[in-house]
Amino acid sequence: MASLAHTIPPHVKPEQVFEFDIYADPRISDDVQGSYAEALRHAPDIFWSPLNGGHWLVQRHDLIAEVVKNPAVFSAREMQIPRVKNPPLFIPLNLDPPGNVPYRHVLMPKFSPRAVAEMEGKMRAMAAEIVADVADAGTCDFVHDVAARFPVSVFMEVMGLPLEKLHEFRAIADGFFKAHTNEEYQAASQQIAAIFHELIDFRRKAPGEDLISHFITVDFEGRKLSLEEIMAMCTVLFLGGMDTVTNVTAFTFQQLADDPALQSRLAADPALLPQFAEEGLRMFGVIGTPRLVVQDFDAHGIAFRKGDMVLNALWQSGRDPTRIANPDRFDIDRKDMAHLNFSTGPHLCLGHALARAEMRILAEEWLKRVPSFRAIPGAHHGFRMGTVIALKSLPLQWDIA
Amino acid sequence: MVRIVFRDVAGNAQEINAEPGVSLMVSAKAHGIAGIEAECGGSMVCATCHIYVDEPWFSAIGAAGPIEAEMVEYTRHPRLTSRLSCQILVTEAMDGMEVGVPLSQR
Repeated sequence: MASLAHTIPPHVKPEQVFEFDIYADPRISDDVQGSYAEALRHAPDIFWSPLNGGHWLVQRHDLIAEVVKNPAVFSAREMQIPRVKNPPLFIPLNLDPPGNVPYRHVLMPKFSPRAVAEMEGKMRAMAAEIVADVADAGTCDFVHDVAARFPVSVFMEVMGLPLEKLHEFRAIADGFFKAHTNEEYQAASQQIAAIFHELIDFRRKAPGEDLISHFITVDFEGRKLSLEEIMAMCTVLFLGGMDTVTNVTAFTFQQLADDPALQSRLAADPALLPQFAEEGLRMFGVIGTPRLVVQDFDAHGIAFRKGDMVLNALWQSGRDPTRIANPDRFDIDRKDMAHLNFSTGPHLCLGHALARAEMRILAEEWLKRVPSFRAIPGAHHGFRMGTVIALKSLPLQWDIA
Repeated sequence: MVRIVFRDVAGNAQEINAEPGVSLMVSAKAHGIAGIEAECGGSMVCATCHIYVDEPWFSAIGAAGPIEAEMVEYTRHPRLTSRLSCQILVTEAMDGMEVGVPLSQR
């Protein structure tokens, strides 16, 4: 949570300080990424915010790439701002190379471009079913009823969660991402862990083609993966695979809801949907990836000191005016959609191909049934911010044929 | 100056002057070769800088190492002459090399 104390260590120069509360800055609105870009327009490329324990924030495309590709200085071991006493260890997220590499290779068979292409048919059927559940109603909360549901179904398919668990698991995931208090968060975390434990036990007896079975049987550098390793990977896949796709999709549809011309163009020509998804990714990044400085390092006039936290605000990378012309304009025809919303370097998001496919498929299935829609006027959507940005709701309406 | 020709699936060719001593992926990105994504920037975790190396160059530079070979298997369109361009260090001896860019990287 936000801390009101101001922390400015002596190695930070006065001109490098820019006060910004990553958890509750008053300048941020429902157009989270747009208002973020506006709020930081005159902030230095790398600045020190004295709030939340004090931390650096990197907001330029090329500088973010530099930081995340230099794990010897900027470690992924800790990702909490402010720092916490016993930081969790997610695998492979919190392991610096080369430690993360063998785990990534364990995961690749289920997340590679080829694996994603093979899942396309199943994903399309899931998306169609979710859209069918609301299409005749003429109204829905797009976040709750559509964008949050689809990634849960895809996750269950990848992990091999039996379909009869769909409703139970969806409710637990919902509870987890809506948790406000530490108690709610702990309760939801325990429910999720219980589901994974149960599933691991089940797959030990009845192996299938799913990821859990793969975790249990795979040869990992001459040994089997431990239960702790499997649980740590399941957790990071859960955290990384759902809220992310949900949130980028939600913001992208908030944009699309206000653009009837683009709706009809996309509905008439689904071949444009990969560009649409990519432009959504560029404009509406939702992840910031923190790093811990593990050795003193001087670069770009900044004295990074051991123990400093650095937030790479990935959502700013696609809005970087030094990299992208008119970065705040949604334009599916632009040639350069450069962004780092999947990060880059050794921790490039494992799900980059899957996420792109999910966004494209869901948009296509949605537009087949609801080719024209609008946001319900006057509705306040609400958002969460921090190291993950989320839209809380998106009430839409459309005419039923 | 090391001339390298990139060819897309339609046969359109683009010649670049690659920089010796850095990876072929870096030069391909610097020259904006279409279809070379290189999402991970050379960390060998994404396989989106996949290319096919024409003979006799493939035999001359050698096949992929074990980790690279595994990454290549996960691409959409692997072939026997597949390599990741981030793992090919350009040398003067590669002058005139021709490589193909796959139909898609993801």
